Amino acid sequence: MATTTSSISGGASPRKRRRIRWMDVQEQLTAYLFILPAFLVITMFGLFPIGYAVYMSTFRWRVRKGSFIGLENYTKTVGDWKGVAIFIGGFLLIGLAYWIWQNAFRSLSNRKLIIGTLAALILMAGGWVISSGWGLMIANGDEDFLGSLPRTLYYAIGTVPAEIAIALVLAYLLYQKIQGQEFFRMLYFLPYITPVVATAVVFRTIFNSRPTSLANQFLAFFGKEPQKWLFEPRPFNNVMFGLNLEGFWAGPSMALVSIVFFGIWTYVGYNTVIFLAGLGSIPHELYEAAEIDGANKWHAFRHITLPLLSPVTFYLALIAFIGTFKAFNHIYVMRVPSALGTVDVTSVTIFDTFYKANQYGYATAQAIILFFIILALTLIQNKVFGERVFYG
Amino acid sequence: MANPSQTLQASSAISTEASGPRFNLSLGKALIYLILIVGGILAILPFFWMVSTSLMTLGETINKQWLPKVPQFSNYVEAWTEAKFGKYFLNSVIITTVTLAGLLTTSILAGYAFGRIKFFGSSVLFAILLSTMMIPESVTMIPNFLMIRGDIIPLPGLPGWGGSWLNHLPALTVPFMANAFSIFLLRQFFIQIPDELWDAARIDGAGHLRFLLQVVLPISKAPVMTVLLFSFIGSWNAFLWPLLVTTKPTWRPLMVGLWTFVTEAGPETQLLMAGAVITIIPILILYFATQKQFTEGIATTGLKG
Repeated sequence: MATTTSSISGGASPRKRRRIRWMDVQEQLTAYLFILPAFLVITMFGLFPIGYAVYMSTFRWRVRKGSFIGLENYTKTVGDWKGVAIFIGGFLLIGLAYWIWQNAFRSLSNRKLIIGTLAALILMAGGWVISSGWGLMIANGDEDFLGSLPRTLYYAIGTVPAEIAIALVLAYLLYQKIQGQEFFRMLYFLPYITPVVATAVVFRTIFNSRPTSLANQFLAFFGKEPQKWLFEPRPFNNVMFGLNLEGFWAGPSMALVSIVFFGIWTYVGYNTVIFLAGLGSIPHELYEAAEIDGANKWHAFRHITLPLLSPVTFYLALIAFIGTFKAFNHIYVMRVPSALGTVDVTSVTIFDTFYKANQYGYATAQAIILFFIILALTLIQNKVFGERVFYG
Repeated sequence: MANPSQTLQASSAISTEASGPRFNLSLGKALIYLILIVGGILAILPFFWMVSTSLMTLGETINKQWLPKVPQFSNYVEAWTEAKFGKYFLNSVIITTVTLAGLLTTSILAGYAFGRIKFFGSSVLFAILLSTMMIPESVTMIPNFLMIRGDIIPLPGLPGWGGSWLNHLPALTVPFMANAFSIFLLRQFFIQIPDELWDAARIDGAGHLRFLLQVVLPISKAPVMTVLLFSFIGSWNAFLWPLLVTTKPTWRPLMVGLWTFVTEAGPETQLLMAGAVITIIPILILYFATQKQFTEGIATTGLKG
């Protein structure tokens, strides 16, 4: 390769060589001119703000810049660095338990029980360590920010598995020889493309506390009492099933569950479309071969469709999970004062710190912490589920 | 990391035609249709509710009824004029048009450079570009707000703006005039264009700009359209940022107008719903006009808003 290039340029006359170099310079200039407008915008509003956010987070900054305070904004948010270390240590223990558990199945069968027990013990220890680390953090940290994390987790756990499972079922059914497949796909997709502020405004009236609201008419149809929905700060489990659980296990508020319904309603259609595309790429011969071997519908679904769809499922779960941690617009629109902050997920809390409390530096520090949480969740999800993905 | 391009490739081979395993039993078929229809009803029920409520009288919105006795089309007139949705609508149209014009220009040029010209540092710059996709909006939002307010550097503008873009058109458009995703999408397409076309154009004496305008763009309608659709939706649906930078109604877009109506106007649900309908109509028209391209564009890129 190198020899051909040198022999060509070596053989050319000096004048021609100069021309080639001039053309090369011209190419370079053209390219830089072409990317210049995009990079001006992206540097100014995409790259510079990242560095400036880090800078801001080290200052006492309320509307105007104040004094340099180092990591104080971060310390104030998380409460206790020792608590954070213990908290993360708990997760490492759970990771260890998971690793041991996986290896248990590769080892000899008579040791399986011992190793399994060991893994379970470490798992429990991990849970205990996490909760004690969390206790330390919450005792000294920012109650609003830390309190918003379990709420965000409720929202994520409430929406992601449900929207993916429903979408998988709908996509699989649509993929059978169905009349009007495109029509159904179009219907399911509508909620996703409609402006989220508009649909959230509609859901505000549907999940209203009025006895005549659509959600309450639905309950009345099944002979149930009307509920306050978005206006109800009490835990869903308490309202619907009379359960009285404490702390994290109390679960999301009725108001947050109403927002979960909205989340599922919005994203099912999107997931269905992606699943349909995934189903289309599974070779049809596999099903025929399975049929010849006597497999029934369920076997074919379980052993062909699911494994071959796993990259799509993984991708959707990853994107959806990250999306719930960034979710803002619809939650902000559906939040009412009577919900008493029980729907304030992390991004909403950060916005309040910035917009309502005017604590710019503090809010930036919290946003950066949220970024690291999202990063960590992405890595964990990759590690745990990425290994199970079958790429064919 | 799940290799995204792998997913893209997998899903790019779409065949939307149903060709899966057959259900022979008609009972099974009926059950399938039942589930699909229930799903469809749940998907559009809120839309039905919205349109129906938007045609009710104030009294009817509180009652337990599904349809207005007499459709009150005057609600729309009232929402358009008195609730100022007409003004917000026009604002949104201008903001979206200006943003799209800017975005298309910057991303076609940059996508072309990254896809078709070998230049020093291109891979590093491209990696930097892609890394901006990872950063959540909440991190960059506050510095950007200070920037728009002119706190960091005075911004160019008309006399009287005082170096600030707050409540002015550029605040709503300029920050969105380039993004990594659009550049990436166009580059992926431009890179596949055969080199022979470029060689032929160069022999004819064309430079990069002429080649881009006269050869590349005419054959790139599909990816350009995809970028256009996604950006239209992104710009039209934007809420958080416009909420921050429009404290006065001068340039307030529809989404923020709808939200301020919620917070300021109280219980006039029928006007609110009329406003919501006005908000979604352009998106629906766009969706129905470009339906196939739309869903397939989403399926192939896997974009999630």
